[in-house]
Amino acid sequence: MTSFTINGRRVTTAVEDDTPLLWVIRDDIGLTGTKFGCGIGMCGACTVHVGGRATRSCITPVAAVEGAEVTTIEGLDPASNHPLQQAWRELQVPQCGYCQSGQIMQAAAMLKDFPAPSDAEIDAVMTGNLCRCMTYVRIRAAIKQAVGKSAVSETNAAVEPKA
Amino acid sequence: MSRLRTAADQALSRRGFLVASAAGGVAFGFSRVLAAIDPAVPGSVPVATTGPSFEPSMWFGIDSAGIVTVNIIRAEMGQHVGTALARILADELEAEWDKVRIVHVDTDPKWGLMVTGGSWSVWQTYPVFSQAGAAGRIALIEAGAKLMGVSPAGCTARAGAVHAGGHAMSYGDIARSGTVARQFTPDDLKALPTKPVKDRRLIGKPVHALDMDAKINGTGIYGIDAKVPGMVYARPKMPPTRNGSKVVSVDDSAAKGVKGYLRYLVLDDPSDTVPGWVMVIATSYWAAVKATDLLAVTWTPGPGADMTEQALLDHGAALVAKAEGGIKLDIADDDSTPAFGNTAGQTIEQRYTTATVLHFQLEPLNALAFEKDGVFEIHAGNQWQSLILPTLAKALGVPETKVVMRSYLLGGGFGRRLNGDYTVPAALAAKALKRPVKMIMTRSDDVRFDSVRSPSVQRLRMAFGNDGQIQAMEHHACAGWPTQVLAGPALLAKTKKGGQYDPFAISGADHWYDVGHQTVRAVANDLANTTFRPGWLRSVGPGWTNWALESFIDEAAHHTKTDPVAFRLKLLTGKGRNAGTAPNAVGGALRQAEVVRRAAAQAGWGTTLPADTALGIATSFGQERDMPTWSACVAQVHVDRATGFVRVQKLTLVVDAGTIVDPDGALAQVQGAALWGLSMALHEGTGFEAGQVKDTNLDTYLPLRIADVPEMDISFVESTEVPVGLGEPATTVVGPAIGNAIFAATGVRLRHIPITPAAVKAGLKG
Amino acid sequence: MGGKYSVTGQGVIDEVAGVMLKRILLIVIGVVVLGTVGFGVFAWRPSIAKIPQPAATSFAPALVAKGEVLASAGYCAACHTVRGGQPFAGGYAMATQFGTIYSTNITPDRKTGIGGWSEAAFERAMRHGVRRDGAHLFPAFPYDHFSKLSDGDVAALYAYFMTRPPVEAKEISSTIPFPLNIRALQAGWKLLFFHPDRFVADPKQSAEWNRGAYLAEGLSHCGACHTPRGSLGAEKHDQAYAGAPIDGWIAPSLTRTNQAPVPWSKDELVAYLATGVSQYHGTAAGPMGAVARGLSKLPPADVAAIATYFASRNGSAAQGTQGTQGDTAIRQAMTREGIGLGLQYDPAARLYAGACASCHYNGKALNPLRPDLALNSAVSMDDPTNLVRVILHGVSAEDGAPGVVMPGFSGFSDADIARLANWLRVTRTGKPGWADLQNKVAAIRAQDRGQ
Ligand code: FES
Ligand code: FES
Repeated sequence: MTSFTINGRRVTTAVEDDTPLLWVIRDDIGLTGTKFGCGIGMCGACTVHVGGRATRSCITPVAAVEGAEVTTIEGLDPASNHPLQQAWRELQVPQCGYCQSGQIMQAAAMLKDFPAPSDAEIDAVMTGNLCRCMTYVRIRAAIKQAVGKSAVSETNAAVEPKA
Repeated sequence: MSRLRTAADQALSRRGFLVASAAGGVAFGFSRVLAAIDPAVPGSVPVATTGPSFEPSMWFGIDSAGIVTVNIIRAEMGQHVGTALARILADELEAEWDKVRIVHVDTDPKWGLMVTGGSWSVWQTYPVFSQAGAAGRIALIEAGAKLMGVSPAGCTARAGAVHAGGHAMSYGDIARSGTVARQFTPDDLKALPTKPVKDRRLIGKPVHALDMDAKINGTGIYGIDAKVPGMVYARPKMPPTRNGSKVVSVDDSAAKGVKGYLRYLVLDDPSDTVPGWVMVIATSYWAAVKATDLLAVTWTPGPGADMTEQALLDHGAALVAKAEGGIKLDIADDDSTPAFGNTAGQTIEQRYTTATVLHFQLEPLNALAFEKDGVFEIHAGNQWQSLILPTLAKALGVPETKVVMRSYLLGGGFGRRLNGDYTVPAALAAKALKRPVKMIMTRSDDVRFDSVRSPSVQRLRMAFGNDGQIQAMEHHACAGWPTQVLAGPALLAKTKKGGQYDPFAISGADHWYDVGHQTVRAVANDLANTTFRPGWLRSVGPGWTNWALESFIDEAAHHTKTDPVAFRLKLLTGKGRNAGTAPNAVGGALRQAEVVRRAAAQAGWGTTLPADTALGIATSFGQERDMPTWSACVAQVHVDRATGFVRVQKLTLVVDAGTIVDPDGALAQVQGAALWGLSMALHEGTGFEAGQVKDTNLDTYLPLRIADVPEMDISFVESTEVPVGLGEPATTVVGPAIGNAIFAATGVRLRHIPITPAAVKAGLKG
Repeated sequence: MGGKYSVTGQGVIDEVAGVMLKRILLIVIGVVVLGTVGFGVFAWRPSIAKIPQPAATSFAPALVAKGEVLASAGYCAACHTVRGGQPFAGGYAMATQFGTIYSTNITPDRKTGIGGWSEAAFERAMRHGVRRDGAHLFPAFPYDHFSKLSDGDVAALYAYFMTRPPVEAKEISSTIPFPLNIRALQAGWKLLFFHPDRFVADPKQSAEWNRGAYLAEGLSHCGACHTPRGSLGAEKHDQAYAGAPIDGWIAPSLTRTNQAPVPWSKDELVAYLATGVSQYHGTAAGPMGAVARGLSKLPPADVAAIATYFASRNGSAAQGTQGTQGDTAIRQAMTREGIGLGLQYDPAARLYAGACASCHYNGKALNPLRPDLALNSAVSMDDPTNLVRVILHGVSAEDGAPGVVMPGFSGFSDADIARLANWLRVTRTGKPGWADLQNKVAAIRAQDRGQ
């Protein structure tokens, strides 16, 4: 039995402890916006937030999220209007769209660390998210556009390192 | 492929347009809610129509709320095909864009041939949808005029309403009246006036793609998301070879330890699509994954169990070296012997190779299958339903009318889902178990039996006269033949002499350059054809033919000490067989010359660049001579001599695809295609080892990622010519442009893709 | 976790366990030869009579509260609770080479727990490893550390456990075969290795230091994992805290020999022990996860005391976080962080960029929740075990940084993990790669499958 919160809702699941969080989210909870791409943590299609940090759900055993707070693309913004989603819409980023939930979730987490990311920072953080349709040019542009207008207030960088 | 297209044309045009009112929302063979999906709405279930609706043709309907629902028979896999097609219709119909919805329909035979590939969708649908929209507009004007008591002549249609003097009546209100009745014969339709270019309101203008929102908020439903009550999950346990494997024994004692494991099924497949496949059935997908790993199966393998990439290439090299074998295309106007041998001048000859490439569409293959009321339903994303339906029927032992496929969004196609093989195991399992089965392949399952892009070997020759003029050229290309293996002989192309060849495997070699006597020979790599099932991969043949052709043309330019741009322009004269024909290839080679010229200018051809940095050019006409998309690319690369690393700094592309229906979508397609080309030139490529591809996941298969993306400058030639496809041509120009740029930067000529740092370093050492 | 030295299943300790088995058998034979009767007399302990169950209200709330904190600092729940089970009801399996033993029910259930135990019986179990009925406990239970507990702390723990909700949960008998399962034989081990002394303060040290020493040596039994053990499983007191294998992990050295690039200063120890994260070292994973969780319940002064104790033992006090060594290491880490990002063709670098960088990239400043890999203890250690394990299995939301998960990359092949780990080792620490790493990864994977 594992209990956790998903998009603000408390859930308890009786699936085997080693079941990847991805399948619990998709098949047991029924939120299919989170996708299965590679199953080994190398494409990012399955990215969700755990404790606010981007996490690849395909290689996260459900037992590992005991007590944690999970957010999926469906819960990123109540009206699907996160600054990134707005920019994604305006720049028409998706092609097949399959990677895009993961891209948006990864980018949303990135903005907490890098509220105004440089190209190098975008490269470093977003390289884990494969887009087989190669929408990379627009992903980069949309992140920058979102940053321009976003009010990303919550940043992990608020906890200043000592060095 | 001409055959294929002819069939498609007939299917589309043979139908008249029945223009009649239909009361209520159910106007199709199947209930629309079940049959179709609308990617723009949560859950993808089309919204029920409101009140009586007007369905002027099977292609669209207007309900009482004025909502225009356009039926799309093409698969949505990232090209926003529904948006592109719906806007053609909506433009002629004078509909309001925010009232347009799209639905992707099922495989009711009335839709005719269903295939999405070769970037044909817009090109094929354009006339049909223009006419359908125009017919609807005319019928609505007539009905609206009657309802308003005015003469149709005084009415205009605009923004979803019929206007007369100061009055207007919306399409929704006209539909609600239930009074529209009008019939158009095919000849009527052909005669219908379509709008002049200057009056277009949607075509060529930026609009919001109708499938976009669902792809941003997680509500879009892909094949992998399909579900029905009571379904069980399945994962295939795959045999050692793609063809001819037989199951000897199965031991599931270890698998039984997995909670949720139900059973295994050795598939009995009359269609021979999945020989030796065993399905593992469980109550959850994770249980199926684990149980499959633990299931012990022994097989007798089929052919190619010990095949290597080198053996495939060696075999291809031997085949192209031989004079006999293969099929010569009908290129020369006469049967004269080639000018080789009797020219006094020089001859150059080179060999080019390309590695096996994976589709790696991001959504692993999957299908949901079940039987309902005697009909097998297959829910999946698929690009060529018409191809797999007969196979499914054969596998299931039922008539084709007892199988229907329902379309979902595709998490990438790139040609992989033209081959619907993956629907068969799900269907067979559903039949055997008498319950719905959802099969999902793991990524490595998917890759192991991907219909890969075959490795290729090509030999090119060029003969020069004493004057240095080109006298003759030969292009021999050997690869696996996807159309032969996957679609059968009926879809092969025929030469005048009756030779049959796979047009997809050679297209691109029959170029538009004036080269004197030209021979193009297509050779099937039989070892490839039996070892695996070669696939159509984004742009198919030109993916390798253009690598060889455009590298070779560059070599020829340097051989004659001519600038590569000038050399190409000299050969692209648009004379004789290269003059071009209506309707699609108007202008011929001159349009190709134009994109070459523009790309060179745009990229600053001729300017001096820093050391080890240079420009390279390549061009293409897309896939087929009778539907050319003229493209040119200049790559700017820097080569690090110490590491052999090639950094592509910038790609400049110019494309002439005729009328651009969807400018933003067109740009997206070219961006994606060009980066695919870059990925296959520098990052992708695997190889066969012991009969299977050696890289089965992203830990060792390393496609392009965001950090690898260069600066891109893409432009389109403004044109009012027939719109042609955009999804593929840019794929094929990038590789040779990079190869040519590496040569320009370092003097090293590379003749194999992918280009590796090791190959560059080896070249630099000489 | 603490005190599992003889019950660890797999891992590096297996060899030790194998040797132990032989030696124990020899001792058994020896003992038989010496005379069963004499040993029986020596080994015999009386049963302590059951008492009527004390009412929960008979314990002062302050005492219970104190006991709760202490129970946390001793991580009692880690071994006495199964995942998803009732707190302290026991049944936690500890696989050993000799067989599996199960932790006992320490809720005050009269039938199956400690409901009938007097405080004296409880005290004897804690400090002497003897059950109420007189049977000897396996030293999986770290009574050799708990012997140092003060009377007051024992009383508080007793109060706490006697006021827990009783749970009926029968003891599961161990699968250890005869004759090794004869509990009286444990008396022989005690004779050789066990000194039931109370804690003695060092007058040369500060009160804080002594408080830290009391907790570390006693209740928190740090040495149970971090001190190497002899062939019969007893801690080698002359090598206290020198680092040791435990449960398939490596408990790093807590002395000057620790290989972390940035010294473990008092501040860093406090952060790590109280939150599970040290931004200059890493997060608490594996058996250490429960330790940080448990210690985080102690009053800050107690955590600081433990930190003071170990900072003095590892010599960092002389140096401090801001000392030269740490500064240099941090500066170096920040420059090395970009290696492998951006366009690169090295397959190992691409593996890193695809799998790791999206979380482990820090940019211009260290992210306190996400230690830089160049500073990470697991990357710096001479033994790759911890790094391999973390890559394979990740870190759960409960362990490490609270609420945050590192996923596990067990879908990578052994070759992938070896490639990635060695690439990190070389590019981040500048040290040579680990030898024979791929086989090592395979061995660790095989152990985990066996568990
Ligand atoms: S599916 Fe999880 S990273 Fe690819
Ligand atoms: S949009 Fe298709 S994979 Fe990214």
